[in-house]
Amino acid sequence: MRNDSEPKRWLGPIVRLAAIAIGAGLILAFPASVDNPYMLTVGIGILNYAVLATAWNFVGGFTGYISLGHGALSGLGAYATGLLITVAGLPSFVALFIATALVAVLAIPIGAAALRVRGASFVIVSIALVLILLLVFQSWASLTGGSRGFVVPRPFPELRRAEHHMVFFYLFAGLLAAALLVWWVIDRSRFGLGLKAIREDEDKSEALGIPTFAGKLVAFVVSAAFTGLAGGLYALWFGDLDPVFQFSVLTGSTMVLMALLGGVRHLFGPLLGAVVVGSGLEYFKLEYGDTPLHLVGTGLLLFGVVMFVPEGVIPALSGLFNRLFAPRETSIREVTAAALAESRRREGEADR
Amino acid sequence: MALFVQSLVLGVLLGGLYALLAAGLTLYFGVMRVVMIAHSAFLILASYLAWYFHRETGLDPLLSLPITIPLFFAAGFAMQRLLLSRLRPATRTMMSVLLTFSIALIIEGLLGYIFTGTQRRIQLGYSGASLELFGARVAVVKLIAFALAAAALLALYLVMMKSKLGQALRATIQHPEAARLVGIQTDRIAGYGFGLGLATASVGGTALALDSTIYPSLHWHWIGPLMAIIVVGGLGSVPGTAIAAMVLGMLMSLLQIPLGTTWAQTVFYLALFATLAVRPQGFFGGRLAKRF
Repeated sequence: MRNDSEPKRWLGPIVRLAAIAIGAGLILAFPASVDNPYMLTVGIGILNYAVLATAWNFVGGFTGYISLGHGALSGLGAYATGLLITVAGLPSFVALFIATALVAVLAIPIGAAALRVRGASFVIVSIALVLILLLVFQSWASLTGGSRGFVVPRPFPELRRAEHHMVFFYLFAGLLAAALLVWWVIDRSRFGLGLKAIREDEDKSEALGIPTFAGKLVAFVVSAAFTGLAGGLYALWFGDLDPVFQFSVLTGSTMVLMALLGGVRHLFGPLLGAVVVGSGLEYFKLEYGDTPLHLVGTGLLLFGVVMFVPEGVIPALSGLFNRLFAPRETSIREVTAAALAESRRREGEADR
Repeated sequence: MALFVQSLVLGVLLGGLYALLAAGLTLYFGVMRVVMIAHSAFLILASYLAWYFHRETGLDPLLSLPITIPLFFAAGFAMQRLLLSRLRPATRTMMSVLLTFSIALIIEGLLGYIFTGTQRRIQLGYSGASLELFGARVAVVKLIAFALAAAALLALYLVMMKSKLGQALRATIQHPEAARLVGIQTDRIAGYGFGLGLATASVGGTALALDSTIYPSLHWHWIGPLMAIIVVGGLGSVPGTAIAAMVLGMLMSLLQIPLGTTWAQTVFYLALFATLAVRPQGFFGGRLAKRF
């Protein structure tokens, strides 16, 4: 059947490309448009969050396995980078890439153990991962400095502080672009389709011959590599590590909150979530100082997202937009298993 | 040898508290397939309430139990009816983890805001007293805490096995559809199950307040071991979790002698990973655990 809107189909991609170009332009122009270094560090923090949330979304978005333990992977990347510089004497960026490779290799046994179980048990394992690494890095004070902290040498000692921030802003922006690109490629690939089948119904997809375990493991390792890379880059930028902050369940839960808020099925969902939550947290810190209230704020936001917009803001808004302006939907479209069950239940109730 | 006996006795006493709390977690999982991350946050909340009760009234913190148990039961019931039962069934397992996680954050943040991050401790007339037990010196408060946990666990057992509510609860855990067919209101019963689970946290919290220093972020130290215990024991099996709690509690207590307190805690996580590698459904888990 021919659709009335068919002649205008070329409009969609162009609008989308233009929006992406404007978004990228805004990000790249950000450092030049702000004049104080504080705003620049906030921007770097948000970009770091965006990379972490996008990296988390390789597992959470594609396979539906919700990991609260990704903070452990970024912490490992950070400490590995720092230790390779100070102990092994490697140049900063060589250390960063070796550390990333180490995290990815380490993610294979961790993922293999954790992905053997589903749902609730997986979350438990991911939390346990953070707690065990916190114990190890706090206790192993001779190597990591324990809670006294660990200083990572600056990669560009000749740069002034503002220039240092500027360089790292663009490094984080580049990393974000790379993570988004890989996510986009997987999203459109056959491999990604298999992963999404796992998310909707793992048993059925296994019965259809999708190599579920291998798929989950690859997604986990890719996710771990990006998370470790972001952690290592953070270590090079910030230069001071403390196990309590590096191996915190809070870091992992912030990643989940950001991805969920934006929408885990969407390429830019985690980025949007990172901008909203990141600036919100920063505002909280400015307004209320270092009180425990930021925990309450994070908790309330997560609570609201889970209860009211579990699909994220992007699907909620686009659903609203479609209802108002383009009421007709195509007959072939992606429907989540949850939405399908919901509509079947409603139909069942109507029949009764 | 004396040190060994000492650790063993302390391990049993600690294991009792772990067993009570893990039983609560198992109950939530049984009735709704929900992993309740906020369990240990409610535990610390109960400890703070006991401490606050003692500071304000000067009475024994044990006397706060008649207030906190009904309060926590009602809170658990309300939480299940108003929040968890409204999540979409298809994604409930994952979303409930995040929901209870957010509740844990809110509790920790509010405790920190109201009572500050200062470490608190209840000082009682008998705080320093200790008893000779099988050649080991054990603080009286630890014995009281254990007795409290054991009594609560026994009460829970009796409710589950002897009462009509317990029968309905067990039916709901075993087969919700069949339970509905014979006229059990499983939604309501699941709410009561949550109430009972949270009541174990109130008893456990009061016991904890007797002999420990408490602070708002303490719940992170509890949730890890408890989660490990319910996985090792097999999600959904109350006797399994009780045995796992005792064994792991004693192991940790014994390992503290050669390794020190911090490293000994890793035994929980090692047991967790070993269980997943060897027997992902847990050592005592049955039908329930396999799918989760």
